[in-house]
Amino acid sequence: MSQARNLNPNWKRNVSDALLAEQFDDLKQQHTAAGLGMWAFLGTEVLFFGGLLTAYTIYRVRYSGAFGEGSEHLYMWIGAANTAILLTSSLTMALAVSAANHKDRKAAIHYLIITVVLGAAFLGLKGVEYFLDYTDSVVPHINFRTDWEHSAQRVELFYVLYFILTALHAMHMLAGIGVLLTLTILSHRTKNFATKANAIEMAGLYWHFVDIVWIFLFPLLYLVDGHKHG
Amino acid sequence: MGTNMAEGEPSRKLYWVIAGALMALLAMTVGAYYLPLGSFGAVVALSIAATKAILVALFFMHLKYEHPVTRLFSIGGLAWLTILMGLTLGDYLTRAYAG
Repeated sequence: MSQARNLNPNWKRNVSDALLAEQFDDLKQQHTAAGLGMWAFLGTEVLFFGGLLTAYTIYRVRYSGAFGEGSEHLYMWIGAANTAILLTSSLTMALAVSAANHKDRKAAIHYLIITVVLGAAFLGLKGVEYFLDYTDSVVPHINFRTDWEHSAQRVELFYVLYFILTALHAMHMLAGIGVLLTLTILSHRTKNFATKANAIEMAGLYWHFVDIVWIFLFPLLYLVDGHKHG
Repeated sequence: MGTNMAEGEPSRKLYWVIAGALMALLAMTVGAYYLPLGSFGAVVALSIAATKAILVALFFMHLKYEHPVTRLFSIGGLAWLTILMGLTLGDYLTRAYAG
């Protein structure tokens, strides 16, 4: 190691600050490779949620009455507010990526922080909702009422899927917030901000994916059998 | 040239337009929830969700501007999900017993 250092006194700086990693021909190829890898990962994420969504679909079709009754006791307006928060966070995330690609460090950090705050707001609101669900006695295994129109076990199945799907999504939100906070700190510290643009864009892809998952969870969980309210 | 891929991504103004469209679609899906659509309601809600997802993927995730191989990969997850759901539901929904 010391020998390498002697041969090239800038070896360490070159590794961390180089715009182009040595395995790539040019920056465009590096950018495309990163995007391709990220989309391959997101494909596995689709299947991660896909198993649960398949289970949901089977039971929603089979026990549609019980699922409709269960859904009616969720806080639809909290779900809608959280959808609006996540959609807005996707806008600020896209603006952060745009700023990073234009080498505007200040704006990128600014938008990354807004995105993190919106993500935290989503989780906070979700926490409030979980608490309200608990006081409503609709938490399977912990506090679950049995006086339902439909079979309590079938309604409970809806709530099991509701809690697993939303908790899995919330964990993805936490991971996304962790990644964005890390990138905010790295962007603040780095001497060459241009080296962070790719990472910010890839984190953005993950963030938008988690947003898309919620875009589907909202109608699947909160908007079942809406006609009963008509 | 830097890592500036700005030529291959939407303008900031377009991001705001997309965000506005997403909010309008959210308002639509909440509005449709109160309409007497019956079992058709699920079709409406999921169609609106799919439209939102496509807007996010095409513009916020730059898929519209990406390399064709990346776009192919982006459909990969959905292709496998279709197989997963198609074969599973093809079994469950065609069984003789119900409940």
